[in-house]
Amino acid sequence: MDLLELRRQDYTLEEDQQLLLTAFGEFFREQCPTSLVRASEPLGFNQDLWNRLVEMGGTSMGLPESAGGDGAGMVELELVAEEFGRSIAPVPYIEHTVTSRALATAGTSSVLEGALDGSHILALASFPVRAGSPQLVPAGAIANSVLALVGDDLVLFTVDNPPAHVVNQGSTPLSWWDFDAITDQVVIASGSQAKAIYARAHDERMVLMAAALVGMTESALAILVEFSKTRETMGVPIATLQGVAFPMTDVAIGIAGARNIARKAAWYLDHAPDERPELAAIAMVYASQTATHGTQVSAHLQGGLGFTIEADASLYFLRSKGWGSLAGDPQAKLLAIGDHVLNTVK
Amino acid sequence: MDFTLVDLDDEHRALQQEIRTFLASIFTPDVFAEEHETGSGYNKKVYEELGARGWLYPEKPVEEGGAGFDLIAQRIMDLELFRQDARVMMMRGTSSLPLKAMRKYMPAEVADPILKDAVEGRVLVCLGYSEPDGGSDIANAKVRAVQDGDMWTINGSKMWTTGAHVSNYTFLVTRTDPDAPKHKGITMFLVPLDAPGVTIQAIRTFSGERTNIVYYEDVVIHDKYRVGGINDGWNVLHGPLDEEHSIGLDMSGGLTDLSIGAGFCRVLGKAINEVAEWAHKTSAPDGSSLTDDVQVRERLGAAMVEYEAGLCTPGPMGRVKASDALVKQAAALVDLMGPVGLLPLHTEGAFGEADTEYAHRFAQGTATYGGTVEVFRTIIANHVLGLPKPNYPGAKVFLAGKKK
Repeated sequence: MDLLELRRQDYTLEEDQQLLLTAFGEFFREQCPTSLVRASEPLGFNQDLWNRLVEMGGTSMGLPESAGGDGAGMVELELVAEEFGRSIAPVPYIEHTVTSRALATAGTSSVLEGALDGSHILALASFPVRAGSPQLVPAGAIANSVLALVGDDLVLFTVDNPPAHVVNQGSTPLSWWDFDAITDQVVIASGSQAKAIYARAHDERMVLMAAALVGMTESALAILVEFSKTRETMGVPIATLQGVAFPMTDVAIGIAGARNIARKAAWYLDHAPDERPELAAIAMVYASQTATHGTQVSAHLQGGLGFTIEADASLYFLRSKGWGSLAGDPQAKLLAIGDHVLNTVK
Repeated sequence: MDFTLVDLDDEHRALQQEIRTFLASIFTPDVFAEEHETGSGYNKKVYEELGARGWLYPEKPVEEGGAGFDLIAQRIMDLELFRQDARVMMMRGTSSLPLKAMRKYMPAEVADPILKDAVEGRVLVCLGYSEPDGGSDIANAKVRAVQDGDMWTINGSKMWTTGAHVSNYTFLVTRTDPDAPKHKGITMFLVPLDAPGVTIQAIRTFSGERTNIVYYEDVVIHDKYRVGGINDGWNVLHGPLDEEHSIGLDMSGGLTDLSIGAGFCRVLGKAINEVAEWAHKTSAPDGSSLTDDVQVRERLGAAMVEYEAGLCTPGPMGRVKASDALVKQAAALVDLMGPVGLLPLHTEGAFGEADTEYAHRFAQGTATYGGTVEVFRTIIANHVLGLPKPNYPGAKVFLAGKKK
């Protein structure tokens, strides 16, 4: 890599980006208390919250104006994803956003109208389709269509009734999709275009998931900080003990870096997608590590209480993996990042 | 947000070329050889040549001996110095802190001639902060300064006074009122290191860097060398320190590093590049290509994630993250290279510039420089997370260190 690049590293948000962040922060805080998250288990979907998010523009903002959307970029979508994750909202914001954007890029309009108003929910298959091999699809239990790579084709699979939900650790609407059995298949792109659109959607999902994990971990840390200031041992708040305070600072350090990397990766996807192709994976890997560690620290430092289902810490802990692993194995992504490093010194 | 490559105008482009050419002419092989030998973080010729052009502290206005560089020009200079060798420039960074305090707190007739010499590269000022049993708790300084009319007598010893052997002055933390609360009994002095009673003893670190223990035995200096008010030393010290620990917002348009940890990340970045190059040029014991090796790919990937994390984490958090990343990843990269990763520069069969071997040794000091990572975690706990402070017996009270 070039260590001498004269490049800006300015993370300052524009005023309208700041307003967007505030607006969606308020929206999710007001509309999605943890009681709603719990009430939406085990499916992990709340139709009413989804309708409200649609009203807020959550499903249209990321689509280009030509497709009836608001033309927001990845940076704006990333900011919303942070707030979405902070409230661990039971709505398919990430899957629906990246899949509808992929369809718009491919020039497909048949389902976009329903995608815009949220009535037709979209999801992205994590792996290329292989005959005789059903796969678990994130948001698959509520999706009307799933976009998947089949050989050299990008295919949109549509069903009348999504396959049944399978209960899972993260309480997300996972379901098994047997693509062989679906008759409504439309090829929306082929060859290199198909691969490029799919790869881009995958990168966008990693960046938005990284953002959501950052928000989720901040929530987990916030409840721990409050707990540690009020819970006493030997006559002092446990927050004054370095054995408690230092793990918390390490979580804060992780969050600060993971947020900046996710935002930076979003900026590169918007403005210079070919210059740092490994950055989306870096964002995902680091956010995943931060969330796994941070939510564990949050649960553990609240002692036995944090280990219980009643504690909100459990909501975040179970979703750190339950959401994070949906975007693929972080360890496997290290190989691609390593390959990029090797390629840059050739 | 903005991560664009800076589009240099003609003026900046010409300056970049001028700086690059000039630095290449003064960073001669003997400069690197001397630094390798002494570990002083300083070179007389380089500092004086830069100083003569106003390029040692080019951000300062021309009337203060600088070159009035704007932020882009400063960034150009920083990157070009890094291209040569940042190690030699270490004492410049050290000196810059006391220079700010001197300008603010000393009478102009005393400070100005010293400042002029410092900016022109003829005078260095080192930091006399830590003590043999004090470490990062510099507010508990025990070195005594006692006033007698216009003169002060100083006794005690300071540890980790990096650069004392090449410096003209030390910016010294002294105890002037042992009975006052610990932060209110401190006075700062600019002590000439050629004063009788000053003894400097070398300490070598395994990064190759030299530091010192400095003994003060009845060292008598004039009151004009006092920096700031008597017993007001903590405030004098704090200004420059606050800058070092800053949590401030970026006002530079993204042209400055997010934290002092960025320098540690560059050392890691060089090691990553070196290992990638090594993987291309080396075969596995069975003759297969190392660039296909899953271990090589995965560990380079892991190091790259940590490099990026260190670079992108802001303020005091970035200082901790970058040090942690360098410590862990340099060790992992040495493991990956195997015995070749243990060979220092100029040894038979060492790979390239032996950046990885150096990174592993250098990394360990980064966890201590400018306050340990534990001190910074405490700052983060109190100021970022808002956690209550523990109540330690020596937090507010000066403890003379006598065992009961």
